[in-house]
Amino acid sequence: MAYKISERTLAEIDRLLKIYPQKEAVLIPALHEMQKEAGWIPEEAMDALGARLNIPYARVKGVVTFYTMFNRLPMGRFHLQVCRNISCHFAGAAGMLRHLEDKLNIKEGETTEDGLFTLSAVECLGSCGTAPVIAVNETYHENMTVEKTDRLLAELRAENNSD
Amino acid sequence: MPKLTIDGKTIEMPKGATILQAAQALGVYIPRYCYHPSLPVSGTCRMCVVEVEKTAKLQIACATEIADGMAVRTDTPAVKKARRDVLEYLLINHPVDCPICDQAGECFLQDYYMDHGLHKSRIAPGDKIRRSKRRAAGKYLTLDNERCILCTRCVRFCDEVTRTGELTVSGRNDASFIDMKEGKGVDNDYSLNIADICPVGAFTSRDFRFKARVWFLKKTGSICTGCAAGCNIEVHHNEGIVHRLMPAPNPETNTWLCDRGRMTYKVLRAGDRLSKARIKKGSMEPEPALRQAAHLIDDAAHRAGPESVAVLGSPYLSLEDNLAIAELASGSIKTGALCLDFSCEQGVKDGILINKDQTPNANGLKLLRARYGGLDQNALIGLINSGRIKLIVAEARALNSLREKLRDLSNIPTVILALAKSDLDFDSDCVLPYASYFETEGHFVNYKGRIQKTAAAVAAPEGVQPLWLVLSKISSYTGAPIKIEDTKAMSAKLSEYALGKSVIPAICKPGSIAAKSTRE
Ligand code: SF4
Ligand code: SF4
Ligand code: FES
Ligand code: FES
Repeated sequence: MAYKISERTLAEIDRLLKIYPQKEAVLIPALHEMQKEAGWIPEEAMDALGARLNIPYARVKGVVTFYTMFNRLPMGRFHLQVCRNISCHFAGAAGMLRHLEDKLNIKEGETTEDGLFTLSAVECLGSCGTAPVIAVNETYHENMTVEKTDRLLAELRAENNSD
Repeated sequence: MPKLTIDGKTIEMPKGATILQAAQALGVYIPRYCYHPSLPVSGTCRMCVVEVEKTAKLQIACATEIADGMAVRTDTPAVKKARRDVLEYLLINHPVDCPICDQAGECFLQDYYMDHGLHKSRIAPGDKIRRSKRRAAGKYLTLDNERCILCTRCVRFCDEVTRTGELTVSGRNDASFIDMKEGKGVDNDYSLNIADICPVGAFTSRDFRFKARVWFLKKTGSICTGCAAGCNIEVHHNEGIVHRLMPAPNPETNTWLCDRGRMTYKVLRAGDRLSKARIKKGSMEPEPALRQAAHLIDDAAHRAGPESVAVLGSPYLSLEDNLAIAELASGSIKTGALCLDFSCEQGVKDGILINKDQTPNANGLKLLRARYGGLDQNALIGLINSGRIKLIVAEARALNSLREKLRDLSNIPTVILALAKSDLDFDSDCVLPYASYFETEGHFVNYKGRIQKTAAAVAAPEGVQPLWLVLSKISSYTGAPIKIEDTKAMSAKLSEYALGKSVIPAICKPGSIAAKSTRE
């Protein structure tokens, strides 16, 4: 199925192309726009973007795979990102991650069957002072404990049901 | 110009040169992986580090510009340790499967390990990261991601040389690997150069894979006859079998070699290679077949006059062979129906190498035409179509190239010279084999007018001779010999008739080609 870049993203690409002297510079902001819409970047989207910018597909793929924050698989509604870097690790992140894996019955990197949660371990979120940290999509949840993760899951489920 | 010293030796280099280039000019070898003289500098591998006086840290020689008064050392303990460390790092996840690796023997990882590494691995084989071992990467390449050291030479080649951008580094840190689009490969006309420039056995040639160990290969400098570019090549062969063609970089002709050119050796062992003559579709030893050919010529000349025999030169053949063709027509048969007119549009087709003219010697024919004259192509076609020609003597591909404009050939007898059955796209009752330019010397004039010579790297099949000798023998059988019976006579004729004495010594001698390999 051919991928169509949305009108909104196309407009944004055109705007950026005028600002940057090199079209490669448009790659990352354009990818962000695309990810905002679908939650992830499918292979066909890389193709379409390459074609639009007249950059080889391989270049787009190199960028997408370099930055771990570009998702290459469909994501759950809530993306749980457990920081596993040093500060968070010392503060118990490993136990929390295991707890979440058990609770959600998925492994790190997987998505629950109902499409609600995707669980990832990520590098330092830049919030070491409040370790351990879990980011849910773009919101930080700080000074986490195992009990607090249970509450967090319940809240997120409730949020989903109320929509 | 800035003046600097490297290991105590002084050199002056133009501004903008790098330490590595200066060292090269001084004959000081600095090990490198990512640097390649024909690619943009990337500075990723750190193998080329050197000590520069008054700088705190080691510098990479490939990307550090020289400065006046610079003092560089390439042999200090710090440099040696850095090289060893880089090698240990590169080998962390390397499979070291040299026994089954085509690159072994010309591998920069092997060579540098012996020169600069010799460390013991601290990683248990089971702990190494495993990757895909054989991913088909287009028509000619296989990619072994485990052996890759991520120097990005291949990526830069596709980005900067062919500008096709098929390759990329996917992922990051120890998860990164060379990648391409799923279901696609490296599909440009120069892909096999990647097997050459890959410093390790990651990209290998599907054609050469597992065919021979490189240390057994003998190398003969020669010329590619795939098009009018006249690329200088090295023919790699062993025990009479050609295994691969490699570029022999020459600033006058080529840095790289195209894929089609590399495959031209295939004709040697193709199933349809002619090693016997074919008379009326039956196989015959070449020698007696020559008498048959002479008989056909005699017969036509007697019955309808010598003018009824048409003789064609060929842009696929060497000067020697075309000279014999011209001599046969004008000196032996004495026919005016000689055609040496096969010129076509020339020039680099793709901005890299491949020429618009897919024949190697159209310009050689021009030289001969100046001496022998002959009909232009349309006049000859007119003659043949008018029915006045009763016999055609030609090389197969040259005649093929006229086929579209010719009426039915089926009732004109032909004497055809061919390398392989597939050269013929028509029937002939007399097909004679001849030695290819991997088996005999031959001069070719490239699109720039450069006169170059192929070399006999391997022997022709038994009984198969150079085309000029074949024609010489035929002419003897007809009783009007062209008297070119050996190489000495041939080179005398060549300098006298075709080239003029002054031109011959200017010929590029194969083997003396400044054979810097593209592998670097
Ligand atoms: S790439 Fe070099 S070191 Fe690695 S397996 Fe091949 S020959 Fe051996
Ligand atoms: S495949 Fe070869 S050329 Fe390409 S990055 Fe790896 S080692 Fe370098
Ligand atoms: S280590 Fe987790 S936020 Fe820095
Ligand atoms: S050769 Fe200089 S960094 Fe690789």
